[in-house]
Amino acid sequence: MRRTDALSRLVDALSSLKLTLACLALLMVLVVACTLAQVNLGIHLAVERYIRSFLVWWSPEGSSLRVPIFPGGGLAGGLLLINLLLAQFRRLELSWRKAGLWVVHVGLALLFIGEFATAMLQVESNMAIEEGQTKSFSEDYRRMEVVVTDATDKEFDEETAIPDSRLETAREVSDPALPFKLVVRAYHENAALSMGGAPSGATAGVGAGMSVTPQHPVTADGEQNTAVALVEPVLKDGKSLGVYLLSNGLGAPQGFIHEGRSWKLALRLRQYRHPFSLTLKDFKHDRYPGTNIPKNFSSLVRLKDPAAGDDRDVLIYMNSPLRHGGLTFYQASFGKDDTLSVLQVVRNPAWTLPYVSCVLVSLGLLWHFGVMLRKSLSSRSA
Amino acid sequence: MRTFLPSFVVLSSVFLTAACGEETITRARVPKEAAPAAEAHGPGDGHDHGDHAGHDHAAAPGLKWTLPSGWKETPGTGMRLATWTPPGGLKTEGTVVSLPGDSGGELANVNRWRGQIGLPPTDEAGMKAARATVSSKAGPVAVYDLTSEGESKTRLIAAVVKTGDTTWFFKLMGEAAATESARPGFLAALKSLTP
Repeated sequence: MRRTDALSRLVDALSSLKLTLACLALLMVLVVACTLAQVNLGIHLAVERYIRSFLVWWSPEGSSLRVPIFPGGGLAGGLLLINLLLAQFRRLELSWRKAGLWVVHVGLALLFIGEFATAMLQVESNMAIEEGQTKSFSEDYRRMEVVVTDATDKEFDEETAIPDSRLETAREVSDPALPFKLVVRAYHENAALSMGGAPSGATAGVGAGMSVTPQHPVTADGEQNTAVALVEPVLKDGKSLGVYLLSNGLGAPQGFIHEGRSWKLALRLRQYRHPFSLTLKDFKHDRYPGTNIPKNFSSLVRLKDPAAGDDRDVLIYMNSPLRHGGLTFYQASFGKDDTLSVLQVVRNPAWTLPYVSCVLVSLGLLWHFGVMLRKSLSSRSA
Repeated sequence: MRTFLPSFVVLSSVFLTAACGEETITRARVPKEAAPAAEAHGPGDGHDHGDHAGHDHAAAPGLKWTLPSGWKETPGTGMRLATWTPPGGLKTEGTVVSLPGDSGGELANVNRWRGQIGLPPTDEAGMKAARATVSSKAGPVAVYDLTSEGESKTRLIAAVVKTGDTTWFFKLMGEAAATESARPGFLAALKSLTP
């Protein structure tokens, strides 16, 4: 009996209107805090710390201690979702009169689920493309990868890409495509490279004469980390092929030859390859007449997708993205005297959920308004 | 309640699995001309990489050279200043790199080249024994001729010359027989070096 009482009290608390208001208030505070934090942290880290986390953490200056100081958006939103669903099933009667409210609640639940799915599944990258250039890959502007290339073939490179998350956690990485394993001696998310000074630990390649000074990672928009990895290719018999210092701050890949095959090592921004290509035919930067105030940016691209039988021109401009192959290409930036266009490439399998949610909430409210109007009119005429 | 709970648990598990899954190693076959290594973000393209190791080629004290007839030169990318291609489609290639200072010293560089073709490191005496010298107007050029072990032999001829605070590295590397054929032309280019 007691257990049943405790459970029903918990369900009462979870489905209460007080919890709804508390969660909404928490979310409002989080939105304000996140907006202010963007100045120092940049938009992505601020959203990650405040909105897409279960707790907001604080670390005292110079300490590795982490103290939870506030519920994060994940916790407040999750509680609100549970509250919404419990309230619906416990309080709302299943009738035509209440059907509008049912639809509104389902729409709101979808909105929360959509944001949760977006946080988990969305992948963002950039495609910087010059006029006349063709590209079939985009680059993540925050994540890195070490790429090991078998460059022996005259026409093709065989690339094996190891994501930075593996380098941060693994001591060694092996792959069936490689005749050696990569022993990870060190990985720095951000560092300064200089000639001379304390040796970096590299024994081969250009890094043998360099020193590495680890730095705090930068997160603000437009800033770029110089990641550094010290990796050592080691053959199956334990023979080392040297320790290489790799960095996205170094322009050219480094390499060695093993058993007649030419290998290159590099650390670069993470790349996502697509089964189709875009060629930038023209980039336009329109201004209001007589001023330098931008009016519109647009990219005319040729989309070629042999598998889908697509070969057509597409005009991408502000608020009019290209959607193809599960990706959305937005006009994001430009450069090089208006001959370079930067497209933001977003893969978000849950992108339709907010639209469906808005339609459901609108329909639900309209239905409920109609029911209430009819009731009101009937009571007046009676 | 009964219908809602199981579906919520399933949905949460799907999201949590997606969040916790380890990122995988990927493989791709990329046409050589489209190989994008550092093309969009190399030093000097306007992106700020902080105190990176790339340097201003124009600011380094320049060396000039004359390539033998039939050899082609293409501008390099990143730290490489130029690429030399011998005639006849030989499977070997020359490269030019300049770095400030002595770049770790001669022995470190000789062992770096030895490592590139799988040879064990040597010591000061071994380095001196292996060193040949070519005269040029830019000064004496130290030349090291190295060949790998194993079935598919690779030959690497590396040369180093210092001008002021800059060390210049010239390297010819490729299949052993092709490098042997291109060797006279490479040495002629080294002899033509002028400040």
